[in-house]
Amino acid sequence: MLERHIITLRTDDAGREDAAATRERLKAGFPPGAVRRMTQLGMLMSTILNDLAPAPDDAIVYASQYAEGRTLETYLESFPTASPTGFQTSIHPGAVQQGMIRRAQPAGDFFPMAGRDYLVGQSLLTALLAPAARVVLCGGEERGTWLATIDGASERAFAYGMILAQSVADDDARPLGRIALEPGDEAVSPLLSGEWFDLVHARKNFSGVLSPGWRATIEWQ
Amino acid sequence: MPHTPLETAAPAVRLAACECLTPFGGTNETLAALLRGESALRATHVLGADGGDLVPLALLPDRALNEESPPAWLARLRQFLAPVTGPTWGTARRPVIVTSSNFGVGSLYAYHHAQTAADANHAPHGPIHKSVASLRDACEWGPNITIFSHACVSAHLGLVHAARLLALGGEHAPVDEVLVVSYDFLSPFVAGGFHSLKILNTEFPAPYMDRATGSIGLGDGAGFAVLGRDHGAHRIVAQSLHNEMHHFTANRPDGAGFASVFAPIARAASGMRVWIKGHGTGTLEAGRLESNAVAAAFPGAPLVSWKGALGHTLGSCGLVELAIAAASMRNPASDGQASRAPGTVGTSAPVFTSQVATSPFDTAAFDGVVCASNAFGGAHAALLLLKDGK
Repeated sequence: MLERHIITLRTDDAGREDAAATRERLKAGFPPGAVRRMTQLGMLMSTILNDLAPAPDDAIVYASQYAEGRTLETYLESFPTASPTGFQTSIHPGAVQQGMIRRAQPAGDFFPMAGRDYLVGQSLLTALLAPAARVVLCGGEERGTWLATIDGASERAFAYGMILAQSVADDDARPLGRIALEPGDEAVSPLLSGEWFDLVHARKNFSGVLSPGWRATIEWQ
Repeated sequence: MPHTPLETAAPAVRLAACECLTPFGGTNETLAALLRGESALRATHVLGADGGDLVPLALLPDRALNEESPPAWLARLRQFLAPVTGPTWGTARRPVIVTSSNFGVGSLYAYHHAQTAADANHAPHGPIHKSVASLRDACEWGPNITIFSHACVSAHLGLVHAARLLALGGEHAPVDEVLVVSYDFLSPFVAGGFHSLKILNTEFPAPYMDRATGSIGLGDGAGFAVLGRDHGAHRIVAQSLHNEMHHFTANRPDGAGFASVFAPIARAASGMRVWIKGHGTGTLEAGRLESNAVAAAFPGAPLVSWKGALGHTLGSCGLVELAIAAASMRNPASDGQASRAPGTVGTSAPVFTSQVATSPFDTAAFDGVVCASNAFGGAHAALLLLKDGK
C-alpha cells in the first residue's frame, strides 16, 4: 500500500466568482500592482501556496482538468496582436508558476497534470510515487466563459492544496488525515476535479477505484 | 514506495523502443538529414493564413499552420504510433502516459477565429482531455492514460513517472511496460506567442553560436518510448528535474538551474565518456548559461543541439531528441556505417565554448549521452542514456 499523511490543507471555493472579483478579494495578500497581471487561477493557487509555504525539497503535483481555461480565452482574444503575458500564463502550469516565481521558490519535482475521468486518481498516484519526504498536492480550475460552452473550461473556480508527508515527526501536530492507494481490480468510478474538490473542501471520507488498478482511500481525523 | 533520498529522480529503466516523427520523416530519416546538416525550417507567416511576419517554422510535409478539422496531424500521428496501438496499451499493466505542451490548442485558435459555421467542428479537438481522447480512440488504447503538461520538459516528466511506475513491486500491481507518447504540432497560437516574446524573428536559429541576435525556430514533432525493466538495448540510468521559479522566461543569471539539474547526472556519469544533447534553442543568454554549465559538469564532452534543424518541438522535444540520440548510438548504424551523432546544425564559429560540436562525430568512443531540456519558469530536465552493453 502507498500511503501519506495529510499534514496541512487549504481550499478556496470561489464558485461563480469571476476573475475581477477574485482579484479584489485576494489582492491584500499580494504586493501592490502584482495582481494586475495575475490570472484567476494564479491568484487562487498563489494564495494557497503562500499558506502552505512549500520547502525547496518538496515535490509538487498540480492537477487541473482544464488548466488555464479563462487565461486561454483572454490570450486567444488578444490576436492578431498576441499578448506575451497572456501567452506565458496560458501555458500549463502557469497558475502555480505565478505563485512560486513570486515566492522565488525553486522546486525539484514538479508534475503538472491534466485530464478528466482519472485525473484525480492519477494525481494521487503521482504524489504517492514521489520520493520526496513531503509532497504538495494541489489543483484547481478557473471559471471560463465561452470556452466553458465547449467543455474547454470550468463553470466554477476553486483551488486546493495539501501537504502530504511520508511520516509524521514527533513535533508535528496530529495529521489531518491520510491518503492511501492499494491495488484494486474493480471497475473505475470517474471522479471529476470539481467533485474531488468538494470532497476535500468538506473533508469527507472516501474510498473507491479512481484510476485503473488502484483503490484510493481518503480518511480525515 | 518508502522515502529514500534517491540520487536521481527515478530508478534505472530500459528503453525498449524509442522513435520520433519530424518534418524529415521517422527516426532514421531524421537522423540522416541531421547528419547531412539539413534544416527543415522554412520562413513562414507567423499567423499562417492570417499573415504576419515571416518566421522559421518546420511543419510536417503538406501541413498548413492553420488547423483543419479533424486536425491534419492526427492521422499522421496515428500512423507513426502504429507499433504501439491496440487495447493492450492503456491498461493497468501497460499504462500510457501522454505528454504535450499544446495538445489541440490549434483547434481552439481555429474555433475562436471561426469564419464559417463549419469552424465549430474544431471544438471537439481543442481541450486537453478531448485532444488526448481523440488520440486514444485513434490508437485504440484502453483508458489508463496519464497526462503531464509542463511546457518543454513535458516528455521528461513522462519518462520519470514511467520509471517510478516500473519500480513498483512487491504487493503492488505489477506494471510490465509503460508507453510514453509526446506530441506538439504548431499553430498560430504557439507561433504568435513566441513571436510576441521577440525570440521568433527573421533570423534562423544557431544554437550556442556567439552572435549579435538570438532567435529560435519552432517545429512539429512527436515521439514515443516504451520503457521496461528487462528488455531494450539502451538504459536510462539517471534522471533529474529542477525548477528555478526565478522568472517566466529567463533563467537565473548565475546558471544555478543548469548546475542543479546536471549535478546528479554528472555523478551518475562519473568515470564514463558521455556526449551532451543540450536544449539549445538559439536564444543567447540561455545558450551561454547551458554551454558553461555543460563545461563545468561534463568537461570535454561534445555538446550538440538539433533545434537549428528541427526547430523547437516544444513539449515533445525531450522524446524527439531522445529518439535521435538513441538511434545515433545504434551499433551498427542502419546504413552499415559507423554510428555517428549529428553536430549542431546551423551553427558555426564563434561558439560559446570549445565543447560545442558543429560537425557529426563517431559515437563508438562514448558510453552514453546526456539529454537535457528546459522550459518556461526555469524548468530543467535531464537524463543519462547508456548504450547497449554499458
